[in-house]
Amino acid sequence: MDKILIVDDDEELCELVSEYLTVEGFDVKCANDGEEGLNQALSDEYDLAILDVMLPRMNGFDVLRKLRETSKLPVLMLTARGDDMERIVGLEIGADDYLPKPFNPRELAARLRAILRRATTRNDENGSGEKLDVDGIQISPASRAAVLDGIDLNLTSVEFELLRVLLSEAGKVVKKEDLSQRVLERDLSPYDRSLDMHISNLRKKLGARGNGTERIKTIRSVGYIYTLV
Amino acid sequence: MKLFLKIFLWFLAAIALMVGVVMFITKTFQTEPTFGRWQRGARAQLSVYSATASQIYDQEGEAALRQFMSRLKDAETLLEVDLLDRDGRLFYGDATNIREFDTVIARTLASGTAELDVTTKDTPLGATSVKFADGQSYLLLIRWEPSRAPSLFFDSWLGYLRLAGLLVTVIVVCYALALYLTSPIRKLREATQKLAEGDLETRVAPRVGRRRDELADLALDFDIMAERIGSLITSQQRLARDISHELRSPLARLNVALEIAKQKAGGESEPLLERIETESNRLNDMISRLLTLSRLESGAVDVDRVRVDLAELVRDVAADAEFEAQAKGKFVQVLSADACNVEGSEDLLRSAIENVLRNAIRYTPDRSVVEVSLAANNGKAVLKVVDKGGGVPEDELPNLFRPFYRIGESRERRTGGSGLGLAIAERAIKAHKGTITARNANGGLTIEIGLNTASRASG
Repeated sequence: MDKILIVDDDEELCELVSEYLTVEGFDVKCANDGEEGLNQALSDEYDLAILDVMLPRMNGFDVLRKLRETSKLPVLMLTARGDDMERIVGLEIGADDYLPKPFNPRELAARLRAILRRATTRNDENGSGEKLDVDGIQISPASRAAVLDGIDLNLTSVEFELLRVLLSEAGKVVKKEDLSQRVLERDLSPYDRSLDMHISNLRKKLGARGNGTERIKTIRSVGYIYTLV
Repeated sequence: MKLFLKIFLWFLAAIALMVGVVMFITKTFQTEPTFGRWQRGARAQLSVYSATASQIYDQEGEAALRQFMSRLKDAETLLEVDLLDRDGRLFYGDATNIREFDTVIARTLASGTAELDVTTKDTPLGATSVKFADGQSYLLLIRWEPSRAPSLFFDSWLGYLRLAGLLVTVIVVCYALALYLTSPIRKLREATQKLAEGDLETRVAPRVGRRRDELADLALDFDIMAERIGSLITSQQRLARDISHELRSPLARLNVALEIAKQKAGGESEPLLERIETESNRLNDMISRLLTLSRLESGAVDVDRVRVDLAELVRDVAADAEFEAQAKGKFVQVLSADACNVEGSEDLLRSAIENVLRNAIRYTPDRSVVEVSLAANNGKAVLKVVDKGGGVPEDELPNLFRPFYRIGESRERRTGGSGLGLAIAERAIKAHKGTITARNANGGLTIEIGLNTASRASG
């Protein structure tokens, strides 16, 4: 059973979510403030952490930042709905996904499964991905590492998966719908900007080519393409 | 006209009028005695000239007389000097204008003394008889320069200096006075405008300086008012934000509890639970919009100055909206999208366009098309979203952008809107110094968004 850590100061909500997720087949523990959450998350006991932004003692962003210094534990952020800044900041400092709060628990369970699946695929040596070496970027699904010019890009699981898909289809347009299915494991819904957000983070980490051209181009209203020189 | 200009001109006019009146009075009531004095002088002059002329002729002869006459002619105030004999023949002088002397000659012949004529011409004329020792009798005619009282301003460089000094002083004093009266008013006006634009921190009293008059009191009162309005608005906004935030937690728990209930419930309660979920989603949606709105209204949202490709953004949002519309059997069509960039926050602009589009989709009838067009020229980008939903009553148009404003009460609820979409759009566009207007056209509502485009060069 996958062990999930919920860090949220709303104890009643924690209880309810654990009850729901337990029925869905997860093993859930709760932490009610930032510091405790961070300690728990660093304990290596968990497969995934759900992190609220508004936390006493240490807010969710700080917890995530500290956590990312040493750990690659998958993290799903719970952000205030309608607050784009929280969403962007969360993804930027390395959350694997985010869910606006209040959330639909079914959606939460689906996201958790998707993140966990990605994490386990990567840990699985015989996993779907073969090693790729395209345009100076080496990615090896086994070690979940993407290396550009000898430097580890330090990608989150979503970014890694996005890059893997785009590179494996390098030079071809990958539709947004397909990306959403293959990477986020959910249907593309209108007005959902998370894919664009992840791509923009990925672009930032990759940087432009030496001659200034973008590596990943947006094909408006269609999808993205990893351009080949 | 500007108050400053009014005060300035009025004072200028008042002083000019005063000077004019003084000059008029001086001229009218001072020239009379001056004129009488001049006449006496002129008569004396005539008899002296007459006596001198006869003396010279008697003692030194005709040539000396001519010499004397030409000396007289050179005198500064005399324009013309003539000498006629009894028969009217010219002994000395210029015959050109001699007929003008006729009246005065007649009078002199009649009276036998020196006579003046100041009415025939504006140059005073004089005539007197000259009797020589040999018995001959002549007539001496003199034409003077026009006589007038010396002007206060126009006679000499001193007069012009006086005039210039007066003008400069008057203009400087009037300017200072007008400035003194209007500058606090101008500052008050600026402050009022800033307050109206939503800058609640505006205060004016420190800016009007150390005066103690009604205008200073007005400035103080303004500050008190601004303070009060500011605190009212802030507390209202904080309330809205707090309420929205606090509503979130129970709603989050409700969602989870609902899902657990679904896990456990039998088929019978399924539709009801679905219904509860729909309503809770609706509540959720409304709270997040309320939060967005209160953030926009409080000005807490900094509009970052990023270049946004408006055409691409519009196509992007339209594509999303088309996706949503098709599920309802409606369509979205981008008729035109001129390439243009604006400066601002992509997220805010996206949310504005999205809200307007979704509103149009909500009201347009099934199987109809919502038309989107983006035109750019002269530094302005105009986005039009046209639906065919029958429009709204003309007098309700300005109210469309008010939060929770419902036209005909039931309309909005039936179609499931939150009543906040257009309000959010308006605040977001205003934050970009743009305009948003609604009007009825072609059997539907047209929302028009105007934004300033960013110049191509700065990109």
